[in-house]
Amino acid sequence: MHISALELHAATSYEDAAELLSRFSPDVRLLAGGTDVLVDLKNNGNGVSHLVTLERIDAMHGITEEADGLRIGALTTITELDESPLISGGYEIIRDAASQMATRQIRNTATIGGNIAGANPCADLPPVLIVLGAIAVVFSKQGPRELPLQDLITGPRETILAQDELLASIVVRRPPARFGAAYARFGLRKGNSIAVATAAASLILDNDGAVHDVHIALGAVAPKPVEVDAAKLWLEGRKLNGDSFDEVARAAMEAAQPISDLRGSAEYRRELVGVLTRRALQAAEQRAQG
Amino acid sequence: MQTLQTLNVNGRQYTVAIDDSDTLVDVLRDKLRLTGAKKGCGQGDCGACTVLIDDKAVNSCLVLASTVNGKAITTIEGLDTNGELTALQKSFVNEGGMQCGFCTPGMVMSATALLRQNPEPADEEIKEALVGNLCRCTGYTGIMRAVQNYGKYSGSESQTGESNQGGVGVSIPRVDAADKVTGRATYTADIYLPNMVHGKLLGSPIAHGLIKKLDVSRAKALPGVLAVLTGADVTDTKHGVSPARYDEDVLAKDKVRHVGDPIAAVAAIDEETAEQALALIEVEFEELPVLLDPMDAIADGAPLIHEKYKNNINTVVDQDFGDIEKALAESHYVREEVFTGNNVYQSPLEPHASIATWEHDGTLVLYTSTQVLPYVQYMMAHVLHIPLGQIRVIRPTVGGGFGAKAATSPLDICSALLSKVTGRPVKMVYSRDEMFKYGRGRHKQHMKLKVGLDEDGTIRAVDSEIYLDGGAYSSFGVATAYYAGAMMPTLYHIPNYRYRGFRVMTNKPACGAMRGHGVPQPRFAFECLLNMAADELGIDPVELRRRNAMTPNTMTVNDLDIGSCEFTATLDTVAEESSWDKKYGKLEKGKGIGIGCGGFVSGAGYCIYRGQVQLSHEKPREPFQKKSIFPHANSVVKVSEDGMAVVLMIGAAEIGQGSDTVLVQMCAEAMGIPASRVRIRSEDSDISPLDLGSYSSRVTFMAGHAVARAGTEVVGKMKPYAAKILECDEADIEVKDAKMFIKGDPSRNVPWEEAARQYFNANGPLVGTGWYKPPEGLGGDYKGATVGTSPAYSFGSSVCEVSVDLETGKVDIEKFTDYHDCGTPINPQAANGQVEGAIVMGAGETIMEGVEFDEQGQLLNPSLKGYLTMTIKDAPEIFSGFVDSYEPRGPFGAKEIGEGSTLPVLGAVAHAIANATGVWVKDLPITPEKILKAMQEKEEAGPAPETPKTDEKQAALT
Repeated sequence: MHISALELHAATSYEDAAELLSRFSPDVRLLAGGTDVLVDLKNNGNGVSHLVTLERIDAMHGITEEADGLRIGALTTITELDESPLISGGYEIIRDAASQMATRQIRNTATIGGNIAGANPCADLPPVLIVLGAIAVVFSKQGPRELPLQDLITGPRETILAQDELLASIVVRRPPARFGAAYARFGLRKGNSIAVATAAASLILDNDGAVHDVHIALGAVAPKPVEVDAAKLWLEGRKLNGDSFDEVARAAMEAAQPISDLRGSAEYRRELVGVLTRRALQAAEQRAQG
Repeated sequence: MQTLQTLNVNGRQYTVAIDDSDTLVDVLRDKLRLTGAKKGCGQGDCGACTVLIDDKAVNSCLVLASTVNGKAITTIEGLDTNGELTALQKSFVNEGGMQCGFCTPGMVMSATALLRQNPEPADEEIKEALVGNLCRCTGYTGIMRAVQNYGKYSGSESQTGESNQGGVGVSIPRVDAADKVTGRATYTADIYLPNMVHGKLLGSPIAHGLIKKLDVSRAKALPGVLAVLTGADVTDTKHGVSPARYDEDVLAKDKVRHVGDPIAAVAAIDEETAEQALALIEVEFEELPVLLDPMDAIADGAPLIHEKYKNNINTVVDQDFGDIEKALAESHYVREEVFTGNNVYQSPLEPHASIATWEHDGTLVLYTSTQVLPYVQYMMAHVLHIPLGQIRVIRPTVGGGFGAKAATSPLDICSALLSKVTGRPVKMVYSRDEMFKYGRGRHKQHMKLKVGLDEDGTIRAVDSEIYLDGGAYSSFGVATAYYAGAMMPTLYHIPNYRYRGFRVMTNKPACGAMRGHGVPQPRFAFECLLNMAADELGIDPVELRRRNAMTPNTMTVNDLDIGSCEFTATLDTVAEESSWDKKYGKLEKGKGIGIGCGGFVSGAGYCIYRGQVQLSHEKPREPFQKKSIFPHANSVVKVSEDGMAVVLMIGAAEIGQGSDTVLVQMCAEAMGIPASRVRIRSEDSDISPLDLGSYSSRVTFMAGHAVARAGTEVVGKMKPYAAKILECDEADIEVKDAKMFIKGDPSRNVPWEEAARQYFNANGPLVGTGWYKPPEGLGGDYKGATVGTSPAYSFGSSVCEVSVDLETGKVDIEKFTDYHDCGTPINPQAANGQVEGAIVMGAGETIMEGVEFDEQGQLLNPSLKGYLTMTIKDAPEIFSGFVDSYEPRGPFGAKEIGEGSTLPVLGAVAHAIANATGVWVKDLPITPEKILKAMQEKEEAGPAPETPKTDEKQAALT
């Protein structure tokens, strides 16, 4: 299918973008990398009449190192995440996800902002950024505001963003010492697969080998990324071993609210959650050990 | 909004009017006519449209053209320097990096982007860079080789691989390779005729219903719409494939039978307008119950999808050879199992496309992406009510078929009808979604198989009962139902055999003929059954096969005449090369090895339509005679007046498998000249005589005979002139290396071209003709005895090695070792390419492919995102080899390889998975979820679980 007739508007600043969104709302969408939005417009006969492109907003591009962490512009491509030397140390979990998303061609154009604000339940980056404690910086006509990333996504293809609001950047604070985070994902083929279930985990290891400040987030198994709070509390100060893995896997499986679809039944997804959670935790612990 | 913009493409500035909604691929193709970027899916799933933007590979279907001005766009057309190919392109040409070529421009662009950034990539980096470029032909093996070895082809002293001098047995590059690697190869959708308009079909949104109201007035009124046709406007003549079962309307008359069933056809000034018009057509239905399971469809009282098929059964096969009951009763070991196949789809990378135009003398010219040019002519004559000779069919480059393009499509018919009413050329191209809804993929078969063996493993009897889920129309399905049984006794000696087959109509897109036509699923089932029996009898699976293996010059129990047969050699070699004895039963849990075998016909012994080539549909069909009435393959060879070039004309369908190349090689061999002197014209029915096309793996064998004979005839005509110059007896003249010489004394020779010129001076045009008819009397005298007949049969054995993640069930197909008996391989690289492609397609079919439906009959995965085929990262390492073999009935000793290579694959994969996990999954595809479930069920049932992770998993389950 072809994309039905529409008008492109190139925003040159956040204010400009917010103004354009506000002017054409609701018959408007933002265009970042386009790998999701254009597919949607092709497959959906009732498209929109206006697209606002963001490419000319310089501040939305690239990754910058700031005093307390990284600021990642919403237009940063997945390839940039994958190749950036700044994505190292505790941030490596971002590469875990970025390096295996979709295809090289898609990664070259798709953006971190699109992956988040698209709010696809099986998106790879949101769980990863949630366990890193990422902050979303959003912008509307009222100016910028900040919110925890997990509060941004409210459901499948739904965010808290107002009609005139856009995701501007992501801020990820610098991880402390002995921090480790890792991502485990299951897809039905080795390349270019949509996630069937994913688990991201982060933790801090103390000198006795006990874990603290554990975060676990699951993807593709609920309408939006799920944080496994029970595991977080239960694991605090404990060591990772067979028993604690079992306990956490159980908690994660309980937290998941999977659906059955083409890619897997709810029961199977639940089982995958258990396996992936353990694998992500193990890998995170290994990274924390350095 | 439309604006004039300047695009920088391949270093040139193009100023072009662009709509804001135009994608880059559409602007490149439709406005700049740079058609190297292909549209395979339009959704970013296949990578065929890959171009570089500022040196980064992107899907040009997911980029709006008006967002890239100021950036440097590089397409496949921009890679070569004044016609000199890049090292990478040369490597693709010489290393067998392509077959149908439709994915090739995108593949080359992705690889170019990689190499510009990283000139010495590791294998894993190559795979990561190419994971977004799907290929359906090569199994990625030749592509990997091409990227790995590109350095060999850099610099002016670059190697060009084996020379083009080669005749039979030499791996010359494909004759179309350079065109395919540069984007010059022209596929149907790449053709833009003057004044051309575009057509689209409205497919049914529901799976089963009566059309109560159809209003096209709003569509007709849309500006830019030239014509709208519905069932009321078109012939009542039904079409199809099997003459006894024509059951398809051109456009639905009163009823729709599957989602996508064509209801109306629109022609408009462009494709976008045609799409908009479709949305304006109003249809109201009286919905009928939807039948999706053949077992429900055959139940008494089920609604009939077609009135003429009682209980919705459109084909019944009942064949009984020997005494099955007695043999089973006397068997030492009997095992019965139920297996289920999957509805896999060929998914060629090139979507179906047709362009029709009528000439002023009433000739229809039809460009179509078909694999069976004469059948299209035949069916178009039938449905348009004009003589076959009034139809000129042109087959541009075809981007893969595998059976999906083996029938006349609604695009062929409707483009012709729309062209007639509009008076303009009409182009119609399926979207990927429409391809799935047109269907013609593999039948899902529900199979009950029983085998009886002696204590030593000798097969006594096989009993097979199969229900084929046919979808809504017959298509090739009658033949499919017969093939599902006919080929069973060709691989092993089976003295008693019964087959009962039922092809059942359901409300799904019609199934048709896919690579291995009807045979892969029963072969999968039987190979599994044999492996189960081997384990229970304590006989090694390879040894069990040796004890039953088909032997040369055997008449099977169902009267199929096996000639050459080196099946046992394939078994012995594959076992040795894969270190079978060291691995089978000796691997750690989670690792597995498995074997599967198979073989196929080298061309069907009988044509689909009987009698002579029909003048028109009005002529009644002739009664069946046990011989071919007309030759199935025909060729004309014309030598240029200077003797330096040969034009080989034959209507054989190059669809990517390499038929043009092997036919050139065989013709050159017969004529004693280098292959580089032969040009083939196979694409145009006005130029090339009838060849039935690319189905039933017939081309190398049958067309090969025709071209060799035509070449030989030319040489025969030249000999008297050579003899005169050399002053010798004509009978003493031999020909080789473009010289005609006296037998035993090559130094006394005359250049080939000189003899050709002498002939022309004396006689005018130097032409030769050749043809091939299958032998008379093939097959038995029972009903359906023609199916499975062939002049020759191929054989092969595959060993698959896997590792399985025992916690998730995920399978990693690591390695394949395959040995085939294809007679003499005419072009070993091309023959290996068939095996490599079949392994990846077959392995994907076994573990991940399948069209799925919801309860209303809606397709759940009609896209290359939802319908999973293997990517380059999924493809195993493959070793393909051939055993020594010579088929006396074949041209230069050759037999088929294209479809037979699929058959061992499914069983080998299933066996390897069972070997790794301890459980058999008997319904395809063998997904991780099914594997895990089977393992858990076994654990729960059985006493001694061996899984090391048992404790954790049990805990996780509670």
